[in-house]
Amino acid sequence: MTTHYLVLSALLFAIGGIGVLVRRNAIVVFMCVELMLNACNLAFVTFARQNGNIDGQVIAFFVMIVAAAEVVIGLAIIVTIFRTRRSASVDDASLLKY
Amino acid sequence: MITAPTIEYFALAPLLIIFGAAIIGVLVEAFAPRYLRRAVHVPLTLLSLVGAFALVILQTVRGVPTTPAAMGSVAVDGPTLFIWGTILVLSFVSVLLINDEEQFVPSAAAVPGSAEEEKAITEGAAHTEVYPLALFAIGGMLLFPASNDLLIMFVALEVMSLPLYLLCGLARRRRLLSQEASVKYFLLGAFSSAFFLYGTALLYGFAGTVDLLGIRERLAVGGGGTETLLLVGTAMLGVGLLFKIGAAPFQAWKPDVYQGAPTPITALMASGTLVAAFGAVLRVFWVALGNDSWNWEPIMWGVAALTMVAGSILAITQTDIKRMLAYSSIAHAGFLLVGVMAVGERGQNALALSGLLFYLVTYGITTVGAFAIVTLVRDPGGEAWHLSRWAGLGKRSPKLAGLFAFFLLAFAGIPLTSGFFGKYAVFRSAVALGEAWLTGLVVLAVVASAAAAFFYVRVIVLMFFSDPSADGPTVVTPSWATSTVVGFSAFATVALGVFPQPVLDLAEKAAKSLFVQ
Amino acid sequence: MELYAPILVLAVLGAGFAVFSVSIAPFTGPKRWNRAKLDAYECGIDPTPQPIGGGRFPLKYMITAMLFIVFDIEIIFLYPWAVAFDKLGVFGLVEMVLFIVTVLVAYAYVWRRRGLDWD
Repeated sequence: MTTHYLVLSALLFAIGGIGVLVRRNAIVVFMCVELMLNACNLAFVTFARQNGNIDGQVIAFFVMIVAAAEVVIGLAIIVTIFRTRRSASVDDASLLKY
Repeated sequence: MITAPTIEYFALAPLLIIFGAAIIGVLVEAFAPRYLRRAVHVPLTLLSLVGAFALVILQTVRGVPTTPAAMGSVAVDGPTLFIWGTILVLSFVSVLLINDEEQFVPSAAAVPGSAEEEKAITEGAAHTEVYPLALFAIGGMLLFPASNDLLIMFVALEVMSLPLYLLCGLARRRRLLSQEASVKYFLLGAFSSAFFLYGTALLYGFAGTVDLLGIRERLAVGGGGTETLLLVGTAMLGVGLLFKIGAAPFQAWKPDVYQGAPTPITALMASGTLVAAFGAVLRVFWVALGNDSWNWEPIMWGVAALTMVAGSILAITQTDIKRMLAYSSIAHAGFLLVGVMAVGERGQNALALSGLLFYLVTYGITTVGAFAIVTLVRDPGGEAWHLSRWAGLGKRSPKLAGLFAFFLLAFAGIPLTSGFFGKYAVFRSAVALGEAWLTGLVVLAVVASAAAAFFYVRVIVLMFFSDPSADGPTVVTPSWATSTVVGFSAFATVALGVFPQPVLDLAEKAAKSLFVQ
Repeated sequence: MELYAPILVLAVLGAGFAVFSVSIAPFTGPKRWNRAKLDAYECGIDPTPQPIGGGRFPLKYMITAMLFIVFDIEIIFLYPWAVAFDKLGVFGLVEMVLFIVTVLVAYAYVWRRRGLDWD
């Protein structure tokens, strides 16, 4: 039965998505995005099992690499802005508007 | 049984050149002394772009391949070659703008205004990493519209976006705005790519493959109880792609990022990324989901209508020149989406595709020219972005203001500019379909164009018919590179407006074979 | 179910060893008093009273961790190749060498730009 895994992946994706929308700390927002990527991985692996081919597992590898690259770049950007403003709250990043 | 894959190196050569040059650029950063780096990077970057362009032409001359390369994962077909050529030309002129060393921060890690930053400035430090980063981004832009496989498309999306996130944060002046643009672009971009990925996962669940042609075949077979996967997957994939082109309601990042990023990078994003993203949108929705168009077209209709209306109306309220151009870019994305929906018979598809390709060329070139002019009008603290600072510019430097006015008229689509034929070609293909719902959208697009023309004309009036303030901005003498960019953009905008036929023919020829299916 | 039996046995053995080592240590080990032993372990830096909110670490930690993650995860691509390298033949070897060279280029950049130096 693969349905449970799909439901779990959908739940994780939803938790991540809601986290991105409601959390205020850039680091936490970013962790929620990573949670969404991992939910995708779970879905890929589950579908690989369901479809009976290993494409999904290979894709999961690529997603992990991309996620790692994204972490490095994202944290660099967030740390830079934190050092400037002493705050990682996305509410404080409000110079650009209208 | 596992067998070694085959790779068509000649078909992929433009990509390999760009990525190879980027890697050499990293090595230059590692081993060349600081004073030599820029002198190596600039020719390396420009030469690799020229080389890739030459290879694209060579491939066009030798005949366009009819099957996808690299085990079906990268499709180098007529439209791809045309898009590659366009992106390479746009990147070349954008790199000429990047060449202006005034634009980038000496040390991105230093806190703005700190002693550390002072030290970096006096030492003459510079982030010459900008060149390899731009090359990686350009390589991603080339791969993105050519990918015939959702996995490759995701990787290309990230290869294109990750360097751009960093480049956005490297503006020399107004560091806080630049950093903020970078964070916003990054968080929203990562969010949208997660949607893209989940959509890919669901389509993989639906079709059992991420190959675009495989998904197409699965759709043609039909049946099965997994239509939910298809619909939700399409929607999520669409969110990821529409975010990249800045279609409403996913347009919020565009003005912020365009404003905060260094202007040459904005030029690269506004031209190259938009072209690449539209190539990818076309490939996903025409090739993979072409047999399902009755499912996505209604939503796309709403998105297109919302995008052009939001872009045109919000642009009117802007007081910042870069934000105004960003909203104009949103409105243009809406106009382009009209062409994406004009699918039907084979001939109809070719007509719509050639219109879109032509529009992308004209819009990209004019955009780079407009942003090049923005880099020249400066206040003591950096570029003069506020519209009020542009008042009376026509009286103080008529040539520059005249050129800018000309670019704005091209955005508005006034006859005798390239923008007119771009819009005409796309809208014609939509009307040719003869469907009332699409013709209605074209009417809406024309109305939105008229509304958009209002704010372009407002800027022109401001420049020519109001008095310059005493402490107005200075217009710097452009470097040879910037003059070349402005001259090229102005020439192309005139040439494509008066004599569009050669490029239209080229676009038609590229579109005739359609995407590899 | 019997597929999982070895894993269960391994888990029991592992837990048993851990419990055994921890419980036997107080009886067999030497007991020499040393102030350093009572300090909290803080990855090599002196533990100081933390300000409210947890305090901050030098950026160096983050950079090192990031570099580790990036280079560590690249290894993942070696696994599929390792499973099928005999079937992929020369093609697989060449591609893998190219891949590793690309990673090495990044490594060279980090090394030359003093990303690996602690000070």
